[in-house]
Amino acid sequence: MERISAHQFTTLGAGVLLGTTFLPVASIVALVGGRDGWMSVLPGFALGIPYSLMILSLMKYYPRRNLLQISEEAFGRWIGKLIGIIYLLCAIYLGGLLLGQVGDIYQTSIMPLTPLWIFFLGGIILVLYLTRSGIEVFARFSEITFPLIVVAILLNVGLSIPRIEQGELLPILGEGLIPIFKGSLKVIPFVMTYMLFLAGVIAYLPTDKKAIGQLKTGAWKIVFWAGILDTLIALIQMLVFGPTETIRLVYGLLALGKMVEVSRTVSGVESLFLGVWFAAAVIKIGSLFFVAIWGLESVFGIKGVKWRHVIAIIFLGIAFKNVRAPSLINEIGLVGEYIIMPFVSLWIPVLWGVMRWKRGAGY
Amino acid sequence: MSSWMKMLKDLTVRPKGERRIRKSPSFSFDEDMNKPISGQTVKEILSKSSDIVFREFNFPGKSRIPCMLVVVDGLVDKNILDQFVLKPLMVDLNHHPDLERVTLANVIDITIQSFLPGIEIKKIVKMEEAVSTILSGDAVIFFGESSEAISIGARGWANRGVNEPIAESIVKGPHEGFTETLRINTSLLRRKIKHPSLRIISLKLGDISNTELVVVYIEKIANKDIVSEVLLRLSKIKMDSVIDVGYIEEMIEDFPYSPFPQIAYTERPDVLAGKLLEGKVGIILDGTPIVLVVPAILMEFLNVNEDYYQRAMTAILSRFVRYVGSFVAVVAPSTYIAVTTFHQEIIPTDLLMSISAGRQGVPFPALLEALTMTIVLEILQEAGLRLPKPIGQTIGIVGALIIGDAAVNAGLVSPLMVIIIGLTAVASYAIPYYDLSLAVRLLRFPLMILAGILGFFGVAVGLYAILIHLLGLRSFGVPYTSPIAPLRVRALLQDTFVRAPWWALKRRPQLIDVQEPRSKGKG
Repeated sequence: MERISAHQFTTLGAGVLLGTTFLPVASIVALVGGRDGWMSVLPGFALGIPYSLMILSLMKYYPRRNLLQISEEAFGRWIGKLIGIIYLLCAIYLGGLLLGQVGDIYQTSIMPLTPLWIFFLGGIILVLYLTRSGIEVFARFSEITFPLIVVAILLNVGLSIPRIEQGELLPILGEGLIPIFKGSLKVIPFVMTYMLFLAGVIAYLPTDKKAIGQLKTGAWKIVFWAGILDTLIALIQMLVFGPTETIRLVYGLLALGKMVEVSRTVSGVESLFLGVWFAAAVIKIGSLFFVAIWGLESVFGIKGVKWRHVIAIIFLGIAFKNVRAPSLINEIGLVGEYIIMPFVSLWIPVLWGVMRWKRGAGY
Repeated sequence: MSSWMKMLKDLTVRPKGERRIRKSPSFSFDEDMNKPISGQTVKEILSKSSDIVFREFNFPGKSRIPCMLVVVDGLVDKNILDQFVLKPLMVDLNHHPDLERVTLANVIDITIQSFLPGIEIKKIVKMEEAVSTILSGDAVIFFGESSEAISIGARGWANRGVNEPIAESIVKGPHEGFTETLRINTSLLRRKIKHPSLRIISLKLGDISNTELVVVYIEKIANKDIVSEVLLRLSKIKMDSVIDVGYIEEMIEDFPYSPFPQIAYTERPDVLAGKLLEGKVGIILDGTPIVLVVPAILMEFLNVNEDYYQRAMTAILSRFVRYVGSFVAVVAPSTYIAVTTFHQEIIPTDLLMSISAGRQGVPFPALLEALTMTIVLEILQEAGLRLPKPIGQTIGIVGALIIGDAAVNAGLVSPLMVIIIGLTAVASYAIPYYDLSLAVRLLRFPLMILAGILGFFGVAVGLYAILIHLLGLRSFGVPYTSPIAPLRVRALLQDTFVRAPWWALKRRPQLIDVQEPRSKGKG
């Protein structure tokens, strides 16, 4: 069976969590949190730490098994299957929507004349290739591309510093802590989507004592890396555009990239930046594709190339159904807020509690 | 399944756990090979070849056993045979005290023990071994009706001296290279590693060519699983002939349809010694100066041994230049096509104006322009490669300067495109391994087409597809992209992008689970 190391888990987790979030995050938190919205990213992401630790602690007692298999043991076969079906549907629907977002972003920002299906096809081919190559290759892919994504984000943020407008952040906490709390609620779906992946990937993680310690440290690092980067992105957009414009620009980071100019040699680097963003999108969609594969395997006991192609076709179908930005972003938000967040935030603590109780009671 | 489908499957699907087997034709003398040893049978098998010499004589003394020395003319050192075989047996033996004891039953043992002075003398009992020994360049003596024979190491043929390899020349460091003779090559290696732990395992490949091959490794360091895997894969090769290591390479590599080389090669004893000291395994084949080294990783194909002979800082600069060169060789034409066709916004206005002025009047799109130029460059390279040196240079001058200049003057290509393609060609020469440079040349074409159709999105799809492919490759179980992914921090910091000073290179690279990870010496 394939295995991934603690370091690969960290970069993969951070890649999945950061994934496609860094483009819309500023707009989302600014909408509910106003000019203080940028401060809500890290607290929202921090919720990922207890959830990650709960999952990792289950892994210690049920090595080489994913959370769906553990759920079947905890709640019985039928409830376990029901959880698996919700898990599978969440992954397939969100994965398809994010594939749609790839097409939307490329077409609206740099290649307006290219048909959408080209972007969908490019994305799904890479995701299929990655999933066919296995979880080890997926982990290595994130090991290489995650640092590139971080560098690209930092460069984009750094090169935008000259355009900062004074006073955009003031008054800090002018409306108290409520906007920050509301903003945090808006980013929690990102964390819960990552939990879907973590629930499946634990079957591939090392389970010796030393490795579990490293994985727990990794879980902290994942949340902080992704949280700090998204905070930086939200902050710089707030500083450059101000709250109103940040809300309006759904893909504000690309707008920042458009404004970059280096020594009259390179300007408007958003097309280069999109190349790196594409890797993040592939990681995110790939992670949901893996989730769908694990879901299918656990619920229906089916696996193989044929079923991967079926999942890919469903992804494409969903992407074609939701092609344009406002409705697409809304749909992603709705799935995250009203399906994934309630499902995962309930499932994992209950499962953890039940398994703890069962162990304590000697079952 | 239709017959053409079957044929396609045969061509593309390699049977699991075994190499593709090509059946050897059977020969009329195959049955003779299983007969007991006899001079007469050997004569029947080999007498149709004019280069085989049969020297018959009688053993001195009372026994008068009829003897026959069989050699291949041109493969043996006649002086050795005259001085140390024929003279002792035919002349000096007449006064030997043991001569009277000799009978047909003990002639071979007494001859080996008392009469022949050489080192490489042994008894052989199988006909197949006798024939193979003769054809390999040794001498064999048959004694009357005896079912045994004696082989005498007397190889001596014209060979190329130990010269500097043309394809791996360096400025600082040893200048000797392997030759086509196996034993010279093993001796060159022995001179570098004078340790009893150096193992040289002999094998023979090719049912007809009977090519000798040795597997070399340092027992104390090399991973036993890798050594066993190498021997297993080699033992499964069934071919008529093995003329060059290229035959073996395709048979034993993990992913034969990948454009990327997964087995390193060298013509230099110092490089082979260095790699064996890292725990790798070498495969030396008789008849070629190229030695294969496994396992191999991608970064290895971008580093050269000279890096270890220079000062660390200079080596780091050289490596950096090579990495940049490799990257430019892969992406320069596709980036240019993507920028000029789709993403003009990333070029500042002044530069954009200058590029536009250069392209004014060029009747072709950038993709077609670049593809044509690259194909012309490939033709020039291919034409110049195998021509005699002076003509090859002329081809280069005519092709690059005259045709290039004329094409620009005629307005068929833009000057910037000539610069880009020229830069790409020069950059690809910065890749030290020819096989990797070929892979890069091959991958440039799909990248250019993707850039021409889909801009940076196409380039990104192409590059990520290549990356995923690379990440999935393994060489004898070692991930090809190691130590970057999976990350091996020490190997990455010690000897990948940078080369740490020798005093800091205390541990062997973590790429393979070597038996002795720490190298000796205080540093």
